[in-house]
Amino acid sequence: MSNVITDKDGVKRYLITLNVNGDEHTILVKGNTTLTNALRDQLDLTGTKRGCELGDCGSCTVLFDGRPINSCMKLAVEAEGHEIITIEGVAANGELDAIQQSMINHAAVQCGYCTPGMVLSAKALLTRNPHPTEPEVREAIAGNLCRCTGYVHIVEAVLAASRGVLAPDDGAHATAGGAK
Amino acid sequence: MSKNYNVIGHSKPKIDGPEKVSGAAKYTGDLKFPNMLHGKILTSPHAHARILSIDTSEAEKLPGVKAVITHKDVPTLKYGLSPARWDENIFCSEKTRFVGDKVAAVACLDEETCYKALKLIKVEYEVLPAVLDFLTAMDEGQPLVHEEYARNINTEIHQEFGDVAKAFAEAHHVRTDTFIGQRTYQCPIEPHSAISMWDAGKLTIYSSTQSPHYFQHYIAREFGMDIGDVRVLKTFVGGGFGGKLEPTGLEFAGAVLAKITSRPVRMFYDRAEMFAHNRGRHAQQMEITTGVDKDGKILGAYANFKMDGGAYTSLGIASAYYAGALLPMTYEFDNFKFDMYRVYTNLPACGAQRGHGAPQPKYAFESHLDNVAKDLGIDPMDIRIRNARRPDTVTPNDFKINSCHMKECLERAREISGWDEKKKNKVPGRGIGVSTGSFVTGAGYPIYRTDLPHASAFIRVNEDGTAATLYTGSVDIGQGSDTVLCQMAAEAMGYRYEQMKIVAADTETTPLDFGAYASRQTYMSGTAVKLAGEEVKKQILEMASFMLSLPPEDLDCEDGIIFSKSRDDKSITFQEAARKHFVLRGPLMGKGVYTPPKLGGTFKGAAVGTSPAYSFGAQIGEVEIDAETGEISVLGIWDVHDCGKVINPRLLHGQVHGALFMGMGESVWEEVLFDDKGKIINAELANYKMLTAMDMPPIESEVIDSYEPTGPWGAKEVGEGSTNPTLGMFSNAIFDAMGVRVNSLPLTYEKVWRALKEKREQEAAEKA
Amino acid sequence: MYMPDYEYHTPGTLAEACTLLGELGGKVTVLAGGSDVLHKMKIGNLVPDHLVSLKNLKELREIRYEQGRGVVIGALVTHDGIYRSQLLQKHFLSLPMAAHTMANTQVTNIGTIGGNIVNGSPLADLPPILIALGASVKLVGRSGERVLPLEEFIVGPGKTVIAQDEILTEISIPDQPTTGSTYKKFGLRKSGALAVVSVAAAVTVEGGAITDARIVLGAVAPVPLRAKSAEASLKGKKVSDEAIEEAAAAAAADSRPISDLRGSDEYRRELVRVFTKRALRKAIDEGHV
Repeated sequence: MSNVITDKDGVKRYLITLNVNGDEHTILVKGNTTLTNALRDQLDLTGTKRGCELGDCGSCTVLFDGRPINSCMKLAVEAEGHEIITIEGVAANGELDAIQQSMINHAAVQCGYCTPGMVLSAKALLTRNPHPTEPEVREAIAGNLCRCTGYVHIVEAVLAASRGVLAPDDGAHATAGGAK
Repeated sequence: MSKNYNVIGHSKPKIDGPEKVSGAAKYTGDLKFPNMLHGKILTSPHAHARILSIDTSEAEKLPGVKAVITHKDVPTLKYGLSPARWDENIFCSEKTRFVGDKVAAVACLDEETCYKALKLIKVEYEVLPAVLDFLTAMDEGQPLVHEEYARNINTEIHQEFGDVAKAFAEAHHVRTDTFIGQRTYQCPIEPHSAISMWDAGKLTIYSSTQSPHYFQHYIAREFGMDIGDVRVLKTFVGGGFGGKLEPTGLEFAGAVLAKITSRPVRMFYDRAEMFAHNRGRHAQQMEITTGVDKDGKILGAYANFKMDGGAYTSLGIASAYYAGALLPMTYEFDNFKFDMYRVYTNLPACGAQRGHGAPQPKYAFESHLDNVAKDLGIDPMDIRIRNARRPDTVTPNDFKINSCHMKECLERAREISGWDEKKKNKVPGRGIGVSTGSFVTGAGYPIYRTDLPHASAFIRVNEDGTAATLYTGSVDIGQGSDTVLCQMAAEAMGYRYEQMKIVAADTETTPLDFGAYASRQTYMSGTAVKLAGEEVKKQILEMASFMLSLPPEDLDCEDGIIFSKSRDDKSITFQEAARKHFVLRGPLMGKGVYTPPKLGGTFKGAAVGTSPAYSFGAQIGEVEIDAETGEISVLGIWDVHDCGKVINPRLLHGQVHGALFMGMGESVWEEVLFDDKGKIINAELANYKMLTAMDMPPIESEVIDSYEPTGPWGAKEVGEGSTNPTLGMFSNAIFDAMGVRVNSLPLTYEKVWRALKEKREQEAAEKA
Repeated sequence: MYMPDYEYHTPGTLAEACTLLGELGGKVTVLAGGSDVLHKMKIGNLVPDHLVSLKNLKELREIRYEQGRGVVIGALVTHDGIYRSQLLQKHFLSLPMAAHTMANTQVTNIGTIGGNIVNGSPLADLPPILIALGASVKLVGRSGERVLPLEEFIVGPGKTVIAQDEILTEISIPDQPTTGSTYKKFGLRKSGALAVVSVAAAVTVEGGAITDARIVLGAVAPVPLRAKSAEASLKGKKVSDEAIEEAAAAAAADSRPISDLRGSDEYRRELVRVFTKRALRKAIDEGHV
C-alpha cells in the first residue's frame, strides 16, 4: 500500500479510493476502520446502518461487486478496487427501484432500520435470479433480521417486485395515490 | 358499522415509506452536529460490588478525551420510571448492582477514543455476594440488592375479588400447575442513542425514544429544570417494543457531558450494552390454580406469582400488576385471587416488553387451561368458547369491557385453521394449539401522577389549502402511527391523505402526547386528531357556507371537495375555501385533546390494567416435532383479532405479524442467558436467536368486523395483543403433538426432546 | 465496538507474505475474508500487532482440477464461491451444500475456506466434510511448502500446526472411490445458527456392502473428531438399518461433547447418534449430496 501517512503518535492512515454508487471517493482511513464506519462517518452515507457490528443482523449490508456482504465485517482498506453499492445508490435519478416501491406498497417497512439492508439483499437476489421462489426469497433475506414485520410483507413485496406487480393483490391500494 | 370511508379503512402507503426505503431516513445515531463529541458509559463488570475508588486520571490524559465524569459530577437525585420506587442513580456511588450498572462516562473526539478511555478508568471494587436467583432472593440471609428493601422485595401484591376458596370448594375439579417464564429482550434493531446539547441554559436532546414527553419530564426533574427549558425530540426510531420507553442513562450522562464540554455529545449503546441495559421481559414463576364445573366453566382462579425484577424498578411495578390484572380478560369468571412478589436481584432491570406483563401469565393460564380440558375430556376449543368473555361485561377486577368478540375470534380461527379436521385426523408428530389474548387500548392512567390530558394534537392547513400538517406528540416507532393519524386527520377534515404532512414528537413544536406504549396511539392520539380534524372541518364548512351562500348544515366535505347535500350543482374545493379562510380569518387550524374517563375500581393497584377499551384475539398454530431431536417446525399460524374499526388494514396486519413474531421467538427461541456471575453470555444476535425469514411459517391474519363505541370511528388496539396468545399457543400445540407439557419457557428443542425421553422412559417403566 | 490498532500489511506475492510473516515480531494475524478475524478483534479475543492481508494473492481465489491432486481449492475462495463452483458441484455436491448452508449470504460472501480452516474452531462447518473427503492442506512458508492431511492440521480449539511464516494456500480433495458423502448440521434456528452438533459422512458402497466409511463430528470435541469406532463398525457390513444404528451409537460414544448455552452434553451425544444415522443413510442412498 503506497499512500500511507503516519501521524505524530505513529498511527498509520491509508489514503484509499472507494468506488461507491459509481462515485470515486478518496479518503483517509485507519487500518482498523470498518467499511460501515467509513461509509457512515466519512461519506455521510448513513443509510448503511449499524445494528450489531458482528455480522449477525444485516443492517449494514452493502453490495460488494454485486454481492451482499456485512460491511461491518469488511475493513475499509480491503474495499479498495471493488464496486460498492449502498442503499443510496439503489434508486436511479430519483426513481425508486421496483423493490423499493413494492416495499412501500406492501407496507413491508415498519421502523425501517433493517430496510436498507433488506432492499439490497433483495436487489442482489433479483439481479441474479429474476424469478425466485418464496423459499429462495426467504433464504436471500435470512441474513437481514427484522424485529417488526415477521417478514410477511417483505417476502410478499420481493415476490411482487419479481413479477413486476408492485401493488398488493388485496385491493388495498385501489385508493392509494401517495408515495411515488 | 361497515360504513365506507374515503381515507380510513384503506391501506394507504406509509407516509415515511420513501425515506425509509431509500436510506434517507435519519435515526438519532445518523445525525451529526458541528463540533459534536462522542460519549460512552463505563459499566460494572460485577453483579454486586462495592466501589472503593475511581481513578479517572489516566483516561483524562488520553489525547482526544474531552471529559470524564462519575457520580461526583452528576445530580444524586434518584430516578426511575415508576414514581413509587425511584431507585436508580445516573452513576453508582457506593455500589454497583448488576453487570452493566453505570459507573462513569466519557466524551471524546471519536468513538474509538471513547472505548480506549473507558479502559483507562480504574475502578477498584470489592466484590459482594450477589443475588442471582429470584426464587430464593427473599430467603433469610440473602444479600440485599438495596439496603432499604427488606428481603429484596420490590413490589408485593395481594388482591382478591369474589371468594376463591368458596369457588374451589364448590368446583367439580380443581387443578394447580406451575410454570416458569424466561427473561427476554426487546432487541430493537436500532441501538439506543441520544444527542444532548445546551444553548443558553436550555437543554435539547435528540433521542431514540418512545416518549419524548416522559423523557422531558424525567430529565427536567433530574436536573431541577423547568419543563419548558428541556426539549426532547425524536427522529426516526428503529423499533422500541417497550425498551425505549424510559431514559437509558445516555440522556442523563450525555446532558452532563454536553454541559461540561459546551459541545453536543452523541451517546450510544452497542449491542452488548443494549442487552446489559436490558429492561426486557421479566422472568417469572407462575403457579395457577383453577376450579371448574363439570362442563369446564371456570368458577375461580388463583394466580400466585414471583417475578425477577433485576436490580431496579424500571416500569416493573406496572409489570407486576399487569401480570395478574389481565388474566381475567378473555374468559369470564367472578372469583379471582392474585399474589405477586417482584423481587430485586443483581441482574439487569426488567421492564415493559410488547404485551407488558401479560404474555407469560397468558402462557401459564392457557397451558393450564388445556391441562384442565384434558382432565375433563373436553376439546381445548370448546372449553375456551364456553368461557369466552362477552361484550358489555365487567371483569372481577373492575375493568369495563365494551366491544368484545372473543367467541367469534375463536370460532373464526377454528374455521380458517381447519381445527376440527386436524383434530380428527391427527398426523403423527404434528399438533395444533389454541390460545387467546387481550390487551389494553392505552393505559387509563399516566405513568407519573398528573392531571394532564393523555393526548393532544393540532392541524394547520397551508395558506393556499394545498397541504395540511398534523402536529402531534405521538411517536411513530415503526408501527405506522404517523400514517394512521394522518389518515384520521384527513378523514375528519374531509381532506386527502396524500396532501397530509406530519410533524411529530418534538416537545417544543408538537402538543403533548404520552407517546408509544400500552397500545394507545391509534385510540388516544387518534381521538385528539379526530377532534382537531373536525374543528378544521367545521371552520372550512363555515367559510364554504359564506362562499356558496348555503347553510353550513347543508354542506359536507369529503376527499377535498365541499359539496351541498341538497344540490348537485353546488361545490367548491377544500383548497379554495381554505385559501379564502386564510385571507379573511387568518390561519386555518384545529385542535383536539383526549383525556380518558375515570376508570377502574378503588382497591390498591386498581389503576393498572384500566383502559377505555380492550382488544381480543385468538391464535391457532400448527407445529411438527422431530421426535428424535425435539426440533420444532411451525407449519402455520392463524390469528383472528377483534381490534375494532381498522384504520389501515395492511399496517394492522403488519402489527399482528410483528407481535406474533416476537411471541414466537419468546415461545421457543429467545432467552437472555447468564453465567454464574450474573453476566449475560448471549448479548449478541447469533446466540440470542431472533427468528429469520427462513424460520417464519405462513401466517394468516384476519379481523372480526367490530366497532368499539368509545374509540375514534370505532377503533381499538392491535399492536401488542397478538403477542399475548402466542406463547400459550405453542405450548398447547407441542402438547397436542407429543403429549408432553414443557412447563418452562422457552420451549426449546432440548426441553421438548428431554420431555419426550422422560415420557418414553416412564412408559417403559410402566410396562416393565 | 472498536478494533485494536495494528499495523496493516498487504504483501504483493506469496513469497513476500511468507517473508513478512517470518520477520514481523509480536502477534501477527493473517487476514483472509475477515468474518472470523474481525469478529474476534471486535469482541476482544484477538489483539494483533500486525494484520497481514492476503488480498493481493489473486491466485488463491481459484478452484481447479489437477491430475494427481484432485480438486484444488484456493484458500481465498469464499463459501459462496465454493457453493457456486460447477467443478465442486459435479464432484462433491456435499461440500458446496455445506458451504451454502453454513451461514447467511452476507457471511458466505465474505468468509473463505482457508479462514474457516485456519480459525481452528471445533464448530466450523467446512472441516468435517473436508476431512470426511480426505482433504489435504498445502502450507507455504519461507523455506518451502508442505502438504498434510487436514485431519492432522487442526490440533485444538483455535490451534493448528501452522508455523509463524506459513500460509495455508490450497485445499485439495483427492480422487476417491467414495460413493456418497454429506454434511448435516443441527442448529437452533434455520439460518445464522452455530452448530450444536454436526456430522459429515463419506461412504464407499460396493455391491450392497460398505467397504469404507469416514465419519467426522463437529462441535462435540476440541477438534473436528473422526468417529473411528463408528467407522470401524461399518467396514465390510452389508447396508442395513441395524448396521447404521450400530455405527450411530458408536459415534455417540466416540463424541466428547461439553455443555454450553447451545445444549447439554447429554443432548449433544444423542444428537450425534441421530445425525450420524441420518448422514449415513443419506450418503448411502443419495450419493454426494
